[in-house]
Amino acid sequence: MTTITQDNKSPFSSKFLQFYKDRTLLAILLSLFAVMFVYGIFFTDNYLTITNFKAIIRDAALYGIMAIGLTFVTLSGNFFLLSLKETASICGVTFAMGMATGFGSPDLVGNFLVSLLAALSVGVLSGVIQGYFVGMGGNPIVVTLGGAGILYGIGAWWSDNLVINFKRPHDAEWLGTGSFLGLPSITLAFILIAIAAELVLRHTNFGRKVYLVGANKAAGRATGHENFSMAIIVFTICSVCCAFVAVAFVAQMDSAQSNYFSAEFGSSGDMTILVIATVMVGGNSIMGGYGSTLRTSLGAIFIAMVDNMMVLQGFNSGPRIVGVGLMIVFSIIVFGLFAKGSRAQE
Amino acid sequence: MASDPVLKITNVSRTFGAIQALKEANFEINEGEIMGLVGENGAGKSTLVKIISGFDPGFKGSYQLNGKEVKFDTPSKAEESGIAIAQQELSLIPNMSVAENIFLTGAKVKKFATLNTLSKMARPYLDEVGLTDIDPSTRINLLSVGEQHLVEVARLISREAKILILDEPTAALGELESRRILEMVQRLAKNGKSIIYVSHRLDEIFKITKRITILRDGVSQGVQETKDIDVNKLVEIMLGRELANMFPSRADHISLESKIEVKDLWPDGVLEPVSFSAYQGEILGLSGQLGSGAGEVLASIAGALKSRSGSLTLNGETFLPKSPSQAIKKKIAYCSSDRKKDGLFLGRPIFENLTSPALDTISKFGFNFGSTEDSYAKNLAQEFLIDVKRVYDESGLLSGGNQQKVALGKWLSIKPDVLLVNEPTRGVDVGAKSEIYQRMRELAARGITIIFASTDIQEITYLPDRVITFYRGMMIDEHRLEQIKTPVILKEITDPFNETNL
Repeated sequence: MTTITQDNKSPFSSKFLQFYKDRTLLAILLSLFAVMFVYGIFFTDNYLTITNFKAIIRDAALYGIMAIGLTFVTLSGNFFLLSLKETASICGVTFAMGMATGFGSPDLVGNFLVSLLAALSVGVLSGVIQGYFVGMGGNPIVVTLGGAGILYGIGAWWSDNLVINFKRPHDAEWLGTGSFLGLPSITLAFILIAIAAELVLRHTNFGRKVYLVGANKAAGRATGHENFSMAIIVFTICSVCCAFVAVAFVAQMDSAQSNYFSAEFGSSGDMTILVIATVMVGGNSIMGGYGSTLRTSLGAIFIAMVDNMMVLQGFNSGPRIVGVGLMIVFSIIVFGLFAKGSRAQE
Repeated sequence: MASDPVLKITNVSRTFGAIQALKEANFEINEGEIMGLVGENGAGKSTLVKIISGFDPGFKGSYQLNGKEVKFDTPSKAEESGIAIAQQELSLIPNMSVAENIFLTGAKVKKFATLNTLSKMARPYLDEVGLTDIDPSTRINLLSVGEQHLVEVARLISREAKILILDEPTAALGELESRRILEMVQRLAKNGKSIIYVSHRLDEIFKITKRITILRDGVSQGVQETKDIDVNKLVEIMLGRELANMFPSRADHISLESKIEVKDLWPDGVLEPVSFSAYQGEILGLSGQLGSGAGEVLASIAGALKSRSGSLTLNGETFLPKSPSQAIKKKIAYCSSDRKKDGLFLGRPIFENLTSPALDTISKFGFNFGSTEDSYAKNLAQEFLIDVKRVYDESGLLSGGNQQKVALGKWLSIKPDVLLVNEPTRGVDVGAKSEIYQRMRELAARGITIIFASTDIQEITYLPDRVITFYRGMMIDEHRLEQIKTPVILKEITDPFNETNL
């Protein structure tokens, strides 16, 4: 939304209605937060501690950043990047290779900057290539599923499916386990990226085009906003987010393996599903054109909250994955019902 | 008429939200009669047809079949009572045989039937529609479009339809195939079927129908005996005299300063390269029926449709846009005929729609903090008589007329030199129509060259300063100012080569 200038002609009621319509989904999400919060205080031990809340946001940060990237893809009507965890996997392997071996040159061993740039470049490359094929008219599901296989395969091949270790102390500790102003650096990164993404969507031409193309590709083309360049840009944004998360995660673990993001990650085991769940729980339209990264960020925190509570209550990973699944179903039903009432018919 | 009508509809009305599609329609048909149903776009023909065939049960009024009051909730109920419709979009399955398509629903067919038995069963129906030379085991997609139409009708007959509705059966057909359809219609009527024939082609209407029901703005204008009426009178009833006043007066002369020259443009759907030019500040109308190539020419000028050859000359530059964004950069705006498909971002607010082609001009270094855009959008809204208070609403919530104003008005944001409009008033109520015509005339007076394509004969007769007629992918003729006459244009877009001997 743009800022609405105050002039006497536009009546309060119409503005209020628009505000109300746009914010209702957020209101639903926030009331869910409140319910969870109250439940947590009364029924869960060790819940209401600062350490625990920091842990929640820290959990949310990793997949939250990827989900913010994915939100651009979904909002622009290009459905999902299904190679999320594979992109993260190959970028993580690249980063660890740089830290451990310097890509074959002894001078570069342990060079954080080079490793980081290498990992990000791999992310950019995979994003551009997948975006190109989608922009040419390829089905996003098919293209990114194919991309997933290829990216994972290359990463596993390159690393011989081994765990690549690099010993502490190393130059990436500040990102992996360090903190600033009492907050873990990954949490800070999450907050900064969330703010930046929301500003880009609201206040730049690019952000507007994401919404317009997502709302109607054909009309976007007719008004000079082609999905071709849009697809390349949004898939690149999303892949770079994956690369960044991979780097942070690998820096935290001091090691990388090609299946880190399939097995050892987060609550639900599978990174791709968790990130897609985050976008959905945030209430973004799967068809594109409606939603925001703010919603996605809140969705990430919400999932982390529920997961955290289940951990504290002693559930192991099976029921927690069921929990994430239920949240997706629930959010689709709630938001679907609401969208039906608010959007224009036809 | 001697006998009682088999189907009689009296005082039927139907509203969709704020739009009244039918106000007061009466319709009747006798046994073995061919009844023409005509009316301009948006007059309520399709609504009436949907009501008769049971697709639309939500109407008010009386519907009598064989003297008994009936109410059909679904099209299949109507079919059981012998009312069947052949729609413009065929519902055949392309890679199944003719016989299988005819007995698709499986009624009257044994549980196990070979293609051979089906073929034998299909034979009489095919003969009845005049497909004597077609093998029933042929696959549908090997037949021509006209033959497919005949198969569709054969299928309806096989289910013992007594009243057949043919909705624009010849719209996509060539002359020979159209003639086959007409022959079939006459044969069926002789066999006692009642046929409701909906068509824009007045020559066909005059050739085969006995009586004609004319709809205008959702009101039926009485039934006319075909032999008592001529084309001019029919068009007059269709349009209504007072409607001529909704058009602004023409420019008093045509500036001969050419603004845009179109040379050898050759998009798909057009038979030979097309060349013409449009002058500074004029409204040029491209007239032609669906498939005549008028719309295709327009789309290819805008880069929305690929052209095999040709070039445009505008402001001293010669180029051929390959995409709409290239055309927009050259100040060519194109408002397509289907606003829901590629004219509007229905889920987004109106102001975003209005500024969508001009994001670069309202932003600074790619940033857009609202206030410029806000005043920009409000100005456009004001200019196009869209309620300024509603610019934050979703555009999908607007009525058809207001949607069209947004779809058209957004192009003013790029300050175009040439404005191309395909079907400026499709699905738009009369009031909004008049406003859109006024705006187009004002824009032309400001020096913008407007080229529009339309199938609406009334629009083509009264709005433009110059008309170019198209017929089946060919450019036929050009008329200026006072020489623009409805009968001449009608003749040129329906039958310029005297093929039907009307």
